[in-house]
Amino acid sequence: MNKVSLVIPTRVYLLHLAVFGVFLAGALWLITSLFAAGLVPLGSALSGIVVFLALIFLRRKFTPLRWLAIGIALALLFTLYPLLYTLFLSVTNMGSGHLMAKQQALARYESELYLPAEGETYRWAAYQAGEGAYALWLIGEDGTGRLAVPGAALQAVEGVGALDSDGFPESLAGYERLPLNRTVPLLSQLSAIDFGEAPDAIRIRSLREAAALQPRYRYDAAQDALIDLETGAVYRPVEGTFTSESGEELPIGFIDTIGIRHFQNFLGSEGFREPLISMMLWNISFAFCSVLFSFVVGLVVTLLFEDLPGKRVIRALLIIPWPIPVLISILIWRSMLNPDLGFVAPVLEAIFGASPEWFSNPLWTRVAVILVNVWLSYPYFYVITAGAIRSIPREIYDAAVVDGAGGWNKLYHITLPLLLRVMMPLLIASFTFNFNNFNVIYIFNFGNPPMPNTIVPMGYTDILISFVYRLAFISSNITNYGLAAAITVLLFLLVSVLVIVQLRFTRLFKEAV
Amino acid sequence: MSQAREFPVSGVRRAQSRLPRKALGMFIRYLIAVILILFAVIPALWIVSASLNPAKSLIGGTFLPQNPGFINYEQLLSNPFFPYVVWLGNSLKIAIITTALTVFLTSLSGYTLSRFRFTGRRTLMMAILVLNVFPSILGMVAIFSMLQQLGAFIDWLGLDGHAALILIYVTGSSGINVLLVKAYIDTIPLELDESALVDGATPWQTFRHIVLPVMTPIVITIGVLTFIASYGDFVIARVLLKSSENLTVMVGLQLFQTDRFDQDFGMITAGAVIAAIPIILIYIPLQKYVIDGLTAGSVKG
Repeated sequence: MNKVSLVIPTRVYLLHLAVFGVFLAGALWLITSLFAAGLVPLGSALSGIVVFLALIFLRRKFTPLRWLAIGIALALLFTLYPLLYTLFLSVTNMGSGHLMAKQQALARYESELYLPAEGETYRWAAYQAGEGAYALWLIGEDGTGRLAVPGAALQAVEGVGALDSDGFPESLAGYERLPLNRTVPLLSQLSAIDFGEAPDAIRIRSLREAAALQPRYRYDAAQDALIDLETGAVYRPVEGTFTSESGEELPIGFIDTIGIRHFQNFLGSEGFREPLISMMLWNISFAFCSVLFSFVVGLVVTLLFEDLPGKRVIRALLIIPWPIPVLISILIWRSMLNPDLGFVAPVLEAIFGASPEWFSNPLWTRVAVILVNVWLSYPYFYVITAGAIRSIPREIYDAAVVDGAGGWNKLYHITLPLLLRVMMPLLIASFTFNFNNFNVIYIFNFGNPPMPNTIVPMGYTDILISFVYRLAFISSNITNYGLAAAITVLLFLLVSVLVIVQLRFTRLFKEAV
Repeated sequence: MSQAREFPVSGVRRAQSRLPRKALGMFIRYLIAVILILFAVIPALWIVSASLNPAKSLIGGTFLPQNPGFINYEQLLSNPFFPYVVWLGNSLKIAIITTALTVFLTSLSGYTLSRFRFTGRRTLMMAILVLNVFPSILGMVAIFSMLQQLGAFIDWLGLDGHAALILIYVTGSSGINVLLVKAYIDTIPLELDESALVDGATPWQTFRHIVLPVMTPIVITIGVLTFIASYGDFVIARVLLKSSENLTVMVGLQLFQTDRFDQDFGMITAGAVIAAIPIILIYIPLQKYVIDGLTAGSVKG
C-alpha cells in the first residue's frame, strides 16, 4: 500500500494538535513535579514518552504511527518502564524505611516541629466548642490576647465579654470556657494538639505556659547533613539512612543505590542460598508436572473418547472447569480439601482410614497445588490437542496401515511426534506461564506451610514469584522492595531463556521477522 | 503391535475374539470417561450445593444439603460488612471499559500495522512480541512503586484507583492481540480498502466502513478473551487495590474467604457462584471464539 499515502484532513490534524497540546501541558507539569520531588527514574521515563509522542505528532514521516501512539505510550509506561525500573530497584535499598526520594525525606524532616525549652511563651486558658474542638486563648508577653484553634492562624477576636482576674475572657462566642478543674484532666490530651497554623504552631508546655513550636531539623546542603536543632546532633546520609556520628539512625531514610548487595545476599549467604535453591527446584518441578499432567490428561481424553458414541456430551462435561474463573476454582478446591468444611477428608477417611493434611504437610500441599492446577488447565490442552490431532492428514495413517502398523504403532510413530511438533511452542509457553503461576500457589495456601528457620519468611509451596510477593507485599513491617526486585531480575533471566526457546517455535515470530 | 503378537492366529479366531474385546474396550473407556467426568464436574456441583446449604457453617461431608434454599444468597447480598454488590459492579465496570478500550486500540493498531508501511514497523512488531512474552506479573513490584509515585501527584492514577488498573489491563491484553488482528487483516484482500482510499475516503472512513465490518470475528474473539481475562484477574487487582469499596469481586472474595472462612462459609460459596455467572454466560454462546483465539498463533503453524 505504498501508493496510497496517509493523508490526514486539516480539520482532523488541528484536532490532533489541540488534544496533544492539552496532553503535553499536563505531562510537562507532571514531569516537572516528579523531578522536583527527586523521582528521577519516573520523570525521565515520562520525558522519553513525551518526546516520542511529540515526534509522532510533529513529523510527517511518522504520521501512520499516530494510530498506534496511545498503545505504544501505554506499552512504554506499563510494560517497558517497569522492566527497567525493576533492574534499578534491584540495586537499591527500597523497602520499609526507604520508601521516598531524598528530597521527599528531607521535606518530611524539615516540616517536623519541636517545642523548644526557651523562647516566647504565652499564658493560656482552654475553651471548648460544644462537645467538639478545643481552642486556646493565648496572652503573649506583651499582654495581647488572641484565639488559637488547630489548623488556622492566630486571630484577634473583637468584642469578647468580661475578662476575669487573669485577663482571660469569661466567655467566647461559640465556645465554653473550661474551668481549671476540667482543664487539668485534659492536659495530656491538649498538649498533643498543635494550635495555630504550621509553621507558627503553638503547643502547651505546662499548665501555665504555652510556647511557639520551632522546626526541628535543618538540612545543610553544603555538607549534606541534617542537623537536629533540639539536640545539636548531625546526621549524615549513609546508604539512604540519616546516621549520626555516634551511630544513631533516623527512622525515615530515602531510596539509595547499594550496588549488588541483594544478589550477594541470596547467592553468597548459605542461610539464604539453600532455601532459595530448594524453592527453585520446586518451582521447576511444579511447572513441569503441571504441564506434563495437564497435557497427558488432555491427550488421553482425546485419544480415548474421540470416536466414542456420546462424545459431544462427554466433551461438554469435561471442559466444565474451563470457563470458571481461576480464583473461584481454587477457592472451591480450597473448600473441598478443607478438613472441617470439605467433603474430601470424610470420604478419604471412610475409605482409607486417614486423610492427608492438604494445607500443613509440605509434600501433600505440593501434591494438592499440582492437582488443582491440572484440574484448571487440562480442558485447554484437551481442546487444543483434539484440534491438532484432527488436523493430521488421514493419508498418513492410511499409508501406515498399508505398511502394517497397529494402533500403538500409529500412536507412537505418527500421532505423538506430529502432535509434539505442533504443540511445542504451546507447551513451552505453558511452562513459562506455570513457572510464574502465582494464583494457584498464593490463593490455595499462600505459599505455606512455612519453612522453619529461614532468614526471611519462605514457604514450602512458594515459587519465586510468590516469594517476591511475600517480600514486597505481605510482611508489612519488613517490606523489602529491593530484594524483591533482585529476585524478579533472577526470574527475568530464567524466563528469558524460556522465551528465546519459545520464540524459535512461534509462528507469529516467524511472520514478524 | 502387542495385539499382533498375542494373537498371531487364524482369521476365524480373531473374528470370534473381536466382539468381546471391543465391548470390553468400550466398557473401560466409558469407565474412564465417568471417572474423569466426576473429577471435572464434582467441584462445580459441590460449590453450588454448598451455596444452597442453609446450615450456618460446617458442611461436614454431606454433599446434598438437607433443605436447600437461597438464604446464603440473601445474606450475602444484604451483608453490610462485605459490599459484595459493589465488588461485582466494580469488576463488571472494569472489565467492560477494559474490553472496549482494548478492542478499539487493537483494531486500529492492527489495521495500521497491516496496511501501512512506515519506518520502524518491523522493529515495533518485534518489540511487541518480545515484550509481551514476559508475564506481566514480573513487573508488579515496579508497577506498585510507580503508581505510588504517580498517585502523589495525580490522585486518580494512583494506587487503589480503577483507572490505573484498567490501563494496565489494556496494555497487557493489547500486545499479542494487536498481532492477531494484524494477521487477520492480512488475510482480507487489499483491493477492498485500497479502492476506497483511491476514491478519496479518509483512512478513518475506510477503516470504519470497509475494514471493521469484515473483521467482526476477530473483534469478538479479542473482546471475549479480554473480558474474561480482566474480569477474572486476581493478582494485579490484589496488589493495587486497598479500600473495601474499590475491590474487584475476585479480590473481595479472596479476602472474605481468608478472613471469615469458617464463619461465613455459606455466603462465600454463594459469592463464588454469582461471580462465575457473568463469565459462563459469555462463554457458552461465544465458546468458538474463545477457542479460536487461544489456538491462533501457536498451533495453526
